[in-house]
Amino acid sequence: MTRLRAALAAASVLLLAACGSGQGSSDASDKGPTSVKVDVIPIIDVAPVYLGNQKGFFAEQQLKLQMVTAQGGAAIVPAVVSGQVDFGFSNYTSLIIARSKGLPLKVVAPGAASTGKQRKDFGGVVVKANSPIKTAKDLVGKRVAVNTLNNINDTTVRASIRAAGGDATNVKFTELAFPDMLAALDKGNVDAVQVVEPFLTTGQKNGGRLVASNYVDTAPDLTIAAYFTSQKTASAKPELVKRFTAAMQKSLQYAQAHPDEVRKVLGTYTKIDPSLTGSLILPAYPAQVNAASVQTLADLAVKDGLIKKAPDVQDLLP
Amino acid sequence: MTAAAPLGRRRSLPAWALGLAGLAALMAVVEIAPRAGLVNERFLPPFSRMISSLADQAGTSGFWGALLETLRGWALGLAIAMAAGVALGLVIGAVPLLRSATAGAIEFLRPIPSVALIPLAVLLYGTQMRATLLLVVYASFWQVLVQVLYGVRDVDPVARETARSYRFRPLTRVRTVLWPTALPYVMTGFRLGAAVALILEITGELVIGSPGLGRQIAVAQTSGAVAAMYALVIVVGVMGVAVNTAARATERRVLRWHPSVRGEVPA
Amino acid sequence: MLWRVVLPLVLPVVLVAAWWAATADSTDFFWPPLSDILGTFPDTWFSGRFTADVLPSLVRLGAGYLLALVLGVGLGVAIGSSRPLRALLEPVLEFFRAIPAPVLVPILMLFAGIGNGMKVLVIISGCLWPVLLNTVEGVRGLDEVLRDTARCYRMRRGSRLVHLVLRGASPQIAAGARQALSIGIILMVISEMFAASNGVGFTIIQFQRSFSIPQMWSGIILLGLIGIALSAAFQAVESWALRWYTGLRRSQREGQR
Repeated sequence: MTRLRAALAAASVLLLAACGSGQGSSDASDKGPTSVKVDVIPIIDVAPVYLGNQKGFFAEQQLKLQMVTAQGGAAIVPAVVSGQVDFGFSNYTSLIIARSKGLPLKVVAPGAASTGKQRKDFGGVVVKANSPIKTAKDLVGKRVAVNTLNNINDTTVRASIRAAGGDATNVKFTELAFPDMLAALDKGNVDAVQVVEPFLTTGQKNGGRLVASNYVDTAPDLTIAAYFTSQKTASAKPELVKRFTAAMQKSLQYAQAHPDEVRKVLGTYTKIDPSLTGSLILPAYPAQVNAASVQTLADLAVKDGLIKKAPDVQDLLP
Repeated sequence: MTAAAPLGRRRSLPAWALGLAGLAALMAVVEIAPRAGLVNERFLPPFSRMISSLADQAGTSGFWGALLETLRGWALGLAIAMAAGVALGLVIGAVPLLRSATAGAIEFLRPIPSVALIPLAVLLYGTQMRATLLLVVYASFWQVLVQVLYGVRDVDPVARETARSYRFRPLTRVRTVLWPTALPYVMTGFRLGAAVALILEITGELVIGSPGLGRQIAVAQTSGAVAAMYALVIVVGVMGVAVNTAARATERRVLRWHPSVRGEVPA
Repeated sequence: MLWRVVLPLVLPVVLVAAWWAATADSTDFFWPPLSDILGTFPDTWFSGRFTADVLPSLVRLGAGYLLALVLGVGLGVAIGSSRPLRALLEPVLEFFRAIPAPVLVPILMLFAGIGNGMKVLVIISGCLWPVLLNTVEGVRGLDEVLRDTARCYRMRRGSRLVHLVLRGASPQIAAGARQALSIGIILMVISEMFAASNGVGFTIIQFQRSFSIPQMWSGIILLGLIGIALSAAFQAVESWALRWYTGLRRSQREGQR
């Protein structure tokens, strides 16, 4: 018994020592590059950051990137607002909702956008091969799965239905995570799913049929997501924000021009099957924010009852 | 109908062999069901494909790094929870005044589900290891505390009064009366706490995104890498089995004087 | 007498007061003043949401929990009484228990679809373990003397089961059922994160996603209150069912008062 107690005591001391040694290291000295924490979701939208980091665009701006991953905007926004991380990545509708609730956010650079090409976008609504649904109008009265309710995906699907002439208020939206959508579609638990890559290509390869490109139907060259920071950081460290923005814009331009390298970098932070990366449709990576599309999303958010009043979009954008 | 004690030795398989047989049956089911079309093999691949993905991943340093992160968070959280749970449980359980005073607070805090703490953890520690540690410690602490309180309550009054009439010092009383009665409960608390700690550690990594196997599972999910995801799930499950086996072995060693363990030893 | 009622309430009241004081002038978006949070309670939860969200959640929890109890005790008695069966099943059970619910749910969705049945199944899958394992422990730890006495008296299988096994193991089973209750509440929330369209957990997640933070906190408090209410109900049932056990202990204690 005494031996056991001694062993347990020793183990806990070792563990505490291990914990202590794992304490966060203090910031680099002012002489070297500034450490910057960026919170992203490990999806294809953020490939430019990884690619740009690989190519040294951030080092050029005296920035040392520390990538942190999260599972969704709901975790990233608090981290940015509380100063835990310097920059975050989120879709525009989430940012608009946050802003309308008074959260002090500021977009610094665009993240990903729709390709603008019908049936050749990185996101879309898919149904089973033998489904009676042929166009977005047929979605009325059906069960459609989106990855987050009251956010960009159901808003844009409603826009698709309206564009096809249907009544968008009569759709049954269900929330399902992207990885679970194709299985639910296959089993018949839902009638249609709104997916993005890599599930779009996988779904179509296994017999699914694309009925609508919801991002394209909403607005031309719709910007989907952006990199943002808190207004506190923006006003306290304007130099840092400027350097990060410059590095981001260079990364975005490079990614847009070199899709093959984007496909290669996907292997470093995702587990997407290498045989699949070749056939994925990549989003567009614009270097400038498309203010008009953000305004469209804000108006749609009000129209669909997500928020009561649209926030001042200009205040949100850089 | 009474069953007489068996005469002579009974030839049954040893426990570990039966356990392996059970696992083998599970593996066979998972191999056959997708191949036979009972379940779509795109969503539940055959067992052999899961294993080959696991073999691929085991060759990468990222996998082992994640495994170590998970183990570190788990061990640390469990250690803190055990220390706090046993200490507080013994103190609160032994002093009736404290028990009544804290009963309300315990009843108020305990039912708060650990998932409700996730937003709090993210606000305090972002997506680093400490956020998940908060969840792990919180959840396993209650497991241990509840068991210790039950154990203290279960002390045989006769034994307690005997110790008092022999004028044992308080510390001796704890060692000879309180601790042996509470010990089975403490070990149960340790076993349950260890299991819960592992589950919360993986859940925290999955939902919050702190480094570890849970985060690898999330990445596999969002990448649509189904076989890789199941491979990691198998690793998590095997870890659970290993934790339970180790906890039971510890329990057996520590409680070798207790009826439930002694009853098992063949005559 | 009054002291006995007041004392358990002292610490919670102190904690709540501390929370109120600490956040009273807070301008932090994610830590609103407690007064704001409590102010949103009536509008958020008591104008329609109670029947639309809270009741369905509780019904699912109740169904899952009771089924888990029945299954857990039944299987636990069988497994606890038979060493080969326990050895056969234990690694498999431990394997599934170690898989966290957010990972297990998508796998369950493959088999059980995305409706209420799936959510009840998730709750059962989590609540089963503490009940099962504690029942096994309880059956294993039965007093040898009692067991032999029952054999000497040639008690039939059925009455041995009820009077010896179940009653003897019931303190342990009660401990397991208590843990299963807290796990059940957690799983009730987690199951509503997948393919849900109503429920307390679902509503809290939606509040979090739409950054309605005071409402989110009110939901968390509501979860705590539901937990307390269920816990109190459980204790009432437990003290009734185990009155022979507490009576036994108390009579032994009372001898010395």
